[in-house]
Amino acid sequence: MTSTLSAPSTEAPESSPDRANWHGANVWTQIVVLTGRSLRAVVKDPRIVVFSLLQPLIMLTLFSQVFGKALMSSIQTGSYINYLMPAILVTTGIGASLQSGVGLITDMKNGVLGRFRALPIRMGSVLLARSLADLFRTAVQLVILLCAAAVLFGFSPKGGLLGTFSAWLLALMVSWSLTWVFLAIASWVRKEEVMQSVGFLAMFPLMFASSAFVPLDALPNWLSVVARVNPLTYAVDASRDLSLALPVGTGVLSAVGASAVLLLVGAFFAIKGFRRPL
Amino acid sequence: MARPPIEVENVTKDFGKFKALDDVSLRVPEGNVLGLLGHNGAGKTTLVNILSTLSPPTGGTARIAGYDVVRQSRQVCARIGLTGQFAAVDEQLSGLDNLVLIARLLGAGKRAAKQRAEELLTLFELTEAAKRPARTYSGGMRRRLDLAASLVGHPDVIFLDEPTTGLDPTSRMGLWQIVENLVDDGTTVLLTTQYLDEADRLADSITVLSSGKVVASGTAEELKAEVGQRTATATLADPAEAPRALEALGRAGLSPVHDEQRHAVTAPVNASHELAVVVRALDEAGIEVSGLGLGEPTLDDVYLNLAHHASESAA
Repeated sequence: MTSTLSAPSTEAPESSPDRANWHGANVWTQIVVLTGRSLRAVVKDPRIVVFSLLQPLIMLTLFSQVFGKALMSSIQTGSYINYLMPAILVTTGIGASLQSGVGLITDMKNGVLGRFRALPIRMGSVLLARSLADLFRTAVQLVILLCAAAVLFGFSPKGGLLGTFSAWLLALMVSWSLTWVFLAIASWVRKEEVMQSVGFLAMFPLMFASSAFVPLDALPNWLSVVARVNPLTYAVDASRDLSLALPVGTGVLSAVGASAVLLLVGAFFAIKGFRRPL
Repeated sequence: MARPPIEVENVTKDFGKFKALDDVSLRVPEGNVLGLLGHNGAGKTTLVNILSTLSPPTGGTARIAGYDVVRQSRQVCARIGLTGQFAAVDEQLSGLDNLVLIARLLGAGKRAAKQRAEELLTLFELTEAAKRPARTYSGGMRRRLDLAASLVGHPDVIFLDEPTTGLDPTSRMGLWQIVENLVDDGTTVLLTTQYLDEADRLADSITVLSSGKVVASGTAEELKAEVGQRTATATLADPAEAPRALEALGRAGLSPVHDEQRHAVTAPVNASHELAVVVRALDEAGIEVSGLGLGEPTLDDVYLNLAHHASESAA
């Protein structure tokens, strides 16, 4: 040891040349390496992507085929699939963000996060990397869903490619911001079962008491009141405005604003919670 | 003046009302191995967690390589390696990728990271399994990979938290060998264990922890000399002779106990020459013995002995 009593020094003690620079990567490298790690797990085990696609695919099929005709009358904007698809994008994105939270808890159990903690890296990088890898995965999933909808069910919104692209971006933005909320919950809750039920309890009312699958007017009165204050309604409406080339009003702006707020609040609590000892 | 790599001064840790650590102080000189001996719940892991910056102490200070574990945690992290009771590896990644990941996070370039990973895989005899996901590894392999991962950055100080718990005897010996090689390279090690023989084999000095307090410390020899008590076991050819055997040993000045299950009498003895006393006493009484053994002192003996001393000094 070369550090001395007189200096409780912050500068590195001398060490052999082969390890001179091995006292921690810079933040950028941390994020890139950690994101790569999470993505690699997905590439190595594509079942994760396939299985997480099943639920939205079933929903897509079920809703478009079973309810499509019945609901046509109440929808003025052309075919039901065009109406449905923006909602599927947003809800799938939210489902994915819940999975991020569950994945974080799995990692904590796995013990690998324990090792990361004892490395000279920032815990924020670990969380950011996780959110980015999951965002990438969600982006791919949504593209697959869009292709399936176009090929199988004749999805062709009035907004065209550009409108669809912006709706896709909006869904990803909502998903990413909610990822941070679920990461925050995960880093405080730390139990998979609890996390799953929190997510389930939050997701279902949000999905069905909203404009996701039927227009607000088609809902019973009390439910449409709930739907009107449901943030998911605004996210879906904004996504719909974009893909269906409806007049883009304040909907998109408020969706962006709300996402930004959720992201900041979520990130704050996620990092705070994540730093707590295991 | 060089500071010792591990310095712990009056560290306490409370979990609510429960005192997990109570005024623990210790120092480990460079290149030494400290064996931290104690049962489950004695506070061993809590201390390791504090020293590896995973949880802050409630009171007192701890320094690693001169850096405070609370205020300079990043500097501490850059100089330590941690191997816990449960292998902390990414199950999805291969052994090679696990090590490369750690090296990259420590700041190694791609090529240097791969080189270091391969070096360690060879050292830990994991080359053949290098490309397989870690979830397919056996318990022993996983533990070796975990230890390799904690060595990637050439740490000055290594914490081994019960490194052989749950391992089969062969893997256990293998791991001991690895730790001995590390120490030869001048690494400072803090090893926690429940096994006296493990501490005896690996550690230069031993600190015994009980209910969060340091109850004894010294070299393995000092500790064993203090414990002294080893157990002599004489298996009787005829179990019915037990009462006579007990009487004979009692007359020889020992305090024998009847072990009915094993058809044996056992007696604590202070040193190996007292084994002769046992043999003579039984022989003189004409009792036939089918087996004779001398048990190594265990952690339980250490605890019993310490408790014994404590009650003696209280009396």
